Amino acid sequence: MPDSTKMGLDGTNDSNIQQTEVPADDDSFKLKFCTVCASNQNRSMVAHLRLSSASFPTLSFGTGSLVRLPGPSITEPNVYEFDSVSYDHIYRELESRDPRLYRANGVLNMVGRNRTVKLRPERWQDWKGSKGTEGGVVDVVITCEERCWDAVVDDLLNRGSPLNRPVHVFNVDIRDNHEEAQVGGKAILELATELNKAAAEERQLHGTDGWHMGGGAARSGFDERVPDILAEWQERWPNLPALWTLAWF
Amino acid sequence: MTSNSNGVADTLAQLNSARDLALKDASYYLQIVPAVLALVGPPAGLELRRWGAEFLAEAFASPSLAAERKQELSLTVLDLLKEYLDTPGEDVVVVKAVVQAAASIYPLVFRQIDALLITATLNSLGSLTRARASIATKIISTVLNFNPLRLVKPPITTKIKLVVRSIERTTRALLQNFAKKNQNHALVGRISQYIEQLHHARVAMFDDTNRKRPAPVEPTDGLDQAKRQRLGAEVTDAPSQAQEVLPPPGSRTYAWLFNRNPQESSVNFDVKAITPEIVANIVLPLLIYVEKGKFDHAINATQARLLAHRKDIQQPRSALDVAVAATHKAPADEDEEEYEPDFPPVETTEQILNRLDNAPPDELPPERPPPEVALGPFKFPQPPPLTEAETIDCSKDVVNRVFGVMAELDETPAPKAQRPGFNRLAASGYDRDAWVTVITRIATRAAAGLENGVVKAEGEGERSVARYKSFSIGNTIRDALYLYVVEDFRRRIDVAISWLNEEWYNDRIMAKHGGDAGPPVKHYDKWVLKVLDGIVPYLDAKDKVLIRFLSEIPGIGVEVLDRIKKLARDPERVSLAVNAIHYLVLVRPPVREVCVDALEDLWRNYDDARGPAAKVLNKWRPHVLQEVPNGLGAQVKAE
Repeated sequence: MPDSTKMGLDGTNDSNIQQTEVPADDDSFKLKFCTVCASNQNRSMVAHLRLSSASFPTLSFGTGSLVRLPGPSITEPNVYEFDSVSYDHIYRELESRDPRLYRANGVLNMVGRNRTVKLRPERWQDWKGSKGTEGGVVDVVITCEERCWDAVVDDLLNRGSPLNRPVHVFNVDIRDNHEEAQVGGKAILELATELNKAAAEERQLHGTDGWHMGGGAARSGFDERVPDILAEWQERWPNLPALWTLAWF
Repeated sequence: MTSNSNGVADTLAQLNSARDLALKDASYYLQIVPAVLALVGPPAGLELRRWGAEFLAEAFASPSLAAERKQELSLTVLDLLKEYLDTPGEDVVVVKAVVQAAASIYPLVFRQIDALLITATLNSLGSLTRARASIATKIISTVLNFNPLRLVKPPITTKIKLVVRSIERTTRALLQNFAKKNQNHALVGRISQYIEQLHHARVAMFDDTNRKRPAPVEPTDGLDQAKRQRLGAEVTDAPSQAQEVLPPPGSRTYAWLFNRNPQESSVNFDVKAITPEIVANIVLPLLIYVEKGKFDHAINATQARLLAHRKDIQQPRSALDVAVAATHKAPADEDEEEYEPDFPPVETTEQILNRLDNAPPDELPPERPPPEVALGPFKFPQPPPLTEAETIDCSKDVVNRVFGVMAELDETPAPKAQRPGFNRLAASGYDRDAWVTVITRIATRAAAGLENGVVKAEGEGERSVARYKSFSIGNTIRDALYLYVVEDFRRRIDVAISWLNEEWYNDRIMAKHGGDAGPPVKHYDKWVLKVLDGIVPYLDAKDKVLIRFLSEIPGIGVEVLDRIKKLARDPERVSLAVNAIHYLVLVRPPVREVCVDALEDLWRNYDDARGPAAKVLNKWRPHVLQEVPNGLGAQVKAE
């Protein structure tokens, strides 16, 4: 079985992340995160950038059938395929189409930022976890909309948990606009930091045995603390209604 | 032994007094329960064990002990209760009390099972239902009997809400996933019912959690309502001018125009009561201290009001004059608003002079109408009348276009519409069928009744009329319909049938109403033969089209049957001809005799058709078979 903890998940922004297999300092233990929204452009990418800037290994995905971006009118969205068209391509195409419009509505700025985070929008349902260039599995999935959470949980059920590895799937409901995405990104980073802190504490307390196989005392200690951490977080962020479940890869 | 029993009795007495204490004041349970645990454990005597178990049952059933306290205590007694149960051959009274205590404790302890295990279990059930299909029903019905909302006990904290919502959604995800994969499963109905119920129950319980967050109370731009709301935008607190309701035109005074104070009293204040000197004394210091933002805003607001006024009364020039005049007179007349000072008088004089310099000469009326630019409606000259040839060409173009639409509609697959039965109106949709109806009716009915007159006129030798008759819209469409059908007759046989039915109907109507206009033209007879002639050469031996066509056209004459008989000339298509006629014999009694005649003819005169025709004749006209067929007879003679 490939040791996923050794892999850089993202390949772009987390090159400075230290090896997590035998961390020199347990406080800096890094849980692996995955952010999910509909089109893998706005909310999940803001959160992706936030998390990876804080040195968390991060992946991000969309759960929609296609990448949809605002177009000249509400009935004419710009639509792209997942997993094939790069952010750079989208950026250049929109820029050539109507630079004024797409600059004014913030789309160019957003896609331009995404170019610096990773190569292209990816689709959750087409990511099989253990293969592909971005191999490995994550400890925590954070979706940004309830139907994305539904899609992720449903897809995990469909996969039939072949790895028998627990994954916490959160939803943090964020409205799909630039401002709210920033607020949501901040809240997600806060949640991630606290989860990571708890995981590091448990590992220090109980040792790291079996952790990356999804077992061991530290792991179950951490798992048990998750609902409390989320509840505390929710009290601080009452406007971002959360959901959570412990699912299996 | 005695001392031991005495000791037990003493202990029991002490315990009982402790119990009395607790019964009087429940708060003592918190100290007494942990203290007695060591005394009444399984090594102790039966009486002590009984007392202990019963005491615990009583403590956790106590109505005066708060649930939180019980919850604290419950964790301390779990080990003891388990020990009792694990002791082999434990006394029935003890076990009974333990079960009672456990039943009281269960909901308290159950709340401690953090959500974690539940969701983790639920999420692993998905693969289990697939891997162990045989027990899937059992698993799902267990899940259906599980109600996460029962875990909720007040107080409802954020955590409880969150956890219950999460469990509910996880359950829903599992059940929906199962239902999607097993759409015919017996439990699917119950699943959707359960999901629905659970959802409603949760909404009812935590009313607020399900709704999407309302839009936050955020300031709007105040300048442009259509603009997207932004957080933290710099805003003015003044109401938007766009929302201001203008007073009726007659009551718009300068006071109204410049007043920035909503209070009634300042509007009614007559500024003339104050002398200009005092006004100047007030205004100048105010101008120095007035806040620039407020001042600008007041100017903008006044300007907006003025613009709205101009727009409203639809007299731009005079309104402008009013505005200029108002602006200039203002300092003298109007100064009711503390932060609404007006332009200093010096500037006003200059402005007046400027305006006078630029003003048009007095003799020109200021309300001079704008120069006449519009030329009135432009009319194209009437086109020259079309020549007859042009008319004919155009008409043909029209017909071509009509069929162009048909060709397009052929490409689009017909939607599987429900057949409305008799309750339908022909050509009410815009589909192919509707077009067919429209076209066939134009062909058959548009010129109906005119043709006979024309034919009659032609008989009188009027050449122009005769020439005109050479083009008839009906016939042009008929030609086009004919070509359209023959082009792809297998697919378009329905068009032919609709069309010929219309022809037949129209012929009937014309025969009925146009009796005095001479013999009506028999369009049906002409076109049914023409269509048949167009189709017959291309029919192959197994075409069902022919039988369909024959069965659905409204009239069959000898000539039609002659065309079919000709098919029998081709050995390959003999059976097609015979079957077609046989079909008519069977299902169209009115033409049965004619058809049997045709079969007899086939039997007599077409060598290849003799065998198949004989089979049919054997039933319908057996006596013919006794005779000698012509072909055979000739053969015999030759021999």
